[in-house]
Amino acid sequence: MSNFLFGRYLPGNSWVHQMSPQSKLMLSFYFVVVIFFANNIWTYAALSVLILMVVLMSGVSIGYFLKGIRPLIWLIIFTVLLQILFSSGGHVYWHFGPFSVSDTSLINGGFIFIRFLLIIMISTVLTLTTTPLAIADGVQTVLRPLKKVHFPVDTLALMLSIALRFVPTLMDEMETILNAQRSRGVDFGSGSLRHRIQAAVPLLVPLFTGAINHAENLSTAMEARGFTDSEHRSKYRIYRWQRKDTISWAVFLLVGVLVLFIRKS
Amino acid sequence: MDQTINFKEVTHTYQPDTPFAQNALNQVSLTIASGSFTAIIGHTGSGKSTLVQHINALLKPTMGEIEVSGRTITPATTNKNLKQLRKHVGMVFQFPEKQLFEETVIKDVMFGPKNYGASDQEARADAKQAMALVGLDEDLQEKSPFDLSGGQMRRVAIAGVLAMKPEILILDEPTAGLDPRGHKEIMDLAEDLHEHQGMTIILVTHQMDDVVDYASDVIVMDQGKIVKHGRPQEIFADPQWVYQMHLDLPSSAEFASRLITAGVPLKSVPLTIDKLADAIVEVVQGGHGHE
Repeated sequence: MSNFLFGRYLPGNSWVHQMSPQSKLMLSFYFVVVIFFANNIWTYAALSVLILMVVLMSGVSIGYFLKGIRPLIWLIIFTVLLQILFSSGGHVYWHFGPFSVSDTSLINGGFIFIRFLLIIMISTVLTLTTTPLAIADGVQTVLRPLKKVHFPVDTLALMLSIALRFVPTLMDEMETILNAQRSRGVDFGSGSLRHRIQAAVPLLVPLFTGAINHAENLSTAMEARGFTDSEHRSKYRIYRWQRKDTISWAVFLLVGVLVLFIRKS
Repeated sequence: MDQTINFKEVTHTYQPDTPFAQNALNQVSLTIASGSFTAIIGHTGSGKSTLVQHINALLKPTMGEIEVSGRTITPATTNKNLKQLRKHVGMVFQFPEKQLFEETVIKDVMFGPKNYGASDQEARADAKQAMALVGLDEDLQEKSPFDLSGGQMRRVAIAGVLAMKPEILILDEPTAGLDPRGHKEIMDLAEDLHEHQGMTIILVTHQMDDVVDYASDVIVMDQGKIVKHGRPQEIFADPQWVYQMHLDLPSSAEFASRLITAGVPLKSVPLTIDKLADAIVEVVQGGHGHE
């Protein structure tokens, strides 16, 4: 699974790496909201400049981000095509039945494309510079207010961190099982649809069996070490809000205000 | 049929062009003789598993080429038409019981042959034969593989590979997690397949005792390279070097080298218990002879 980028952490010590996870999480969320306010070339330009700055400050090469986009490229193309073919208004260049291409739809298509790019970039920055466990921790901090209404925030965060923790383990196991079944003559990823679905059974059954075994072993191990859900748990690593967080927020908020001013009303 | 395996300047890089890029094999050239029982040893991460996965083209070289029984695997080899090669090269992974998935033991063992185009009848016959070979009782056939003991599951998994009648068999730490008896049974099975079925056996292992007891050739790997290739006696002749490779000596050799450090004048480093006994007898009797 060498092309698999999602959830992959790149160790580093950049500005973005050093920010606290809860702040990065909220900042990404805020950025996505701002993206939906952008509606003309200037607003998109401002946001693109901002994201480029973030990428540069993360110390991760741009080529790496482009690789992260590759698996989503068909989804993006499909959405952009829908936008181009079905939106109305403006000067029509070409039409056929319900489809038409106009200058407005082309521009809208372009905007949708940039919007996708921006969202993918910001979330890739987040996952590349934050370990999965730190993300789970950030979620816990962000959701803390919900404790007041007896929402099980800690349990949720624990579930999240366990799930994230087992992603690489299960990927490894899948790889091994794939290889083992390939050696027994299974052809994954070729033949008819029916054939492909049949080929998935020898993969999925062992994978699920393995996952259930892991779950059982883990719960036994946790119980053996006296884990209970109700206690107040302390943390080994504490992520505090830092000056870098404040500065980053200031810049992002400024750009947000700027977007509100220069957007087409 | 000739089962010689030839590696020519094979390099394999995991995740090329990323910050994770890692050379797991570095210009490896080697020949594994047809009909040999070759053990591959080396500490964790030295490239053993990567090496063997090239033999049935689960991995393709980043550079270089591999010849296996008349087929050449190059970086350009596609995943199509590899079935014949994979039928020819049986591969037993670490903890192979993880690959079991069918409702009954016999169906799971038949899975391989059927993928290679055998009819139900042929597959069943091959499966029964393979089960007999690994010493599984006939009355286990209709049981669910998930109801068996760990050792039995492992044997079902190995039978699933043997049912395809491979001519080259790769065993990647086949005895990990087994009790001493299960361990011996699996190793004896490997020896039997080598002696009586004429299979070329490639064994990846950390058990140096197995290496001296069963293997005719040994390949030592370190950091993606082959650092030594020879007979067990040659490999273990220099204990210092073996320790440098983060490997152990076979237990009799270790015993002997401790005797030597303690001042017992053994003439050579014996690799098996019998030879160790002989060497000690020789010293004791030699001592008497002088008096």
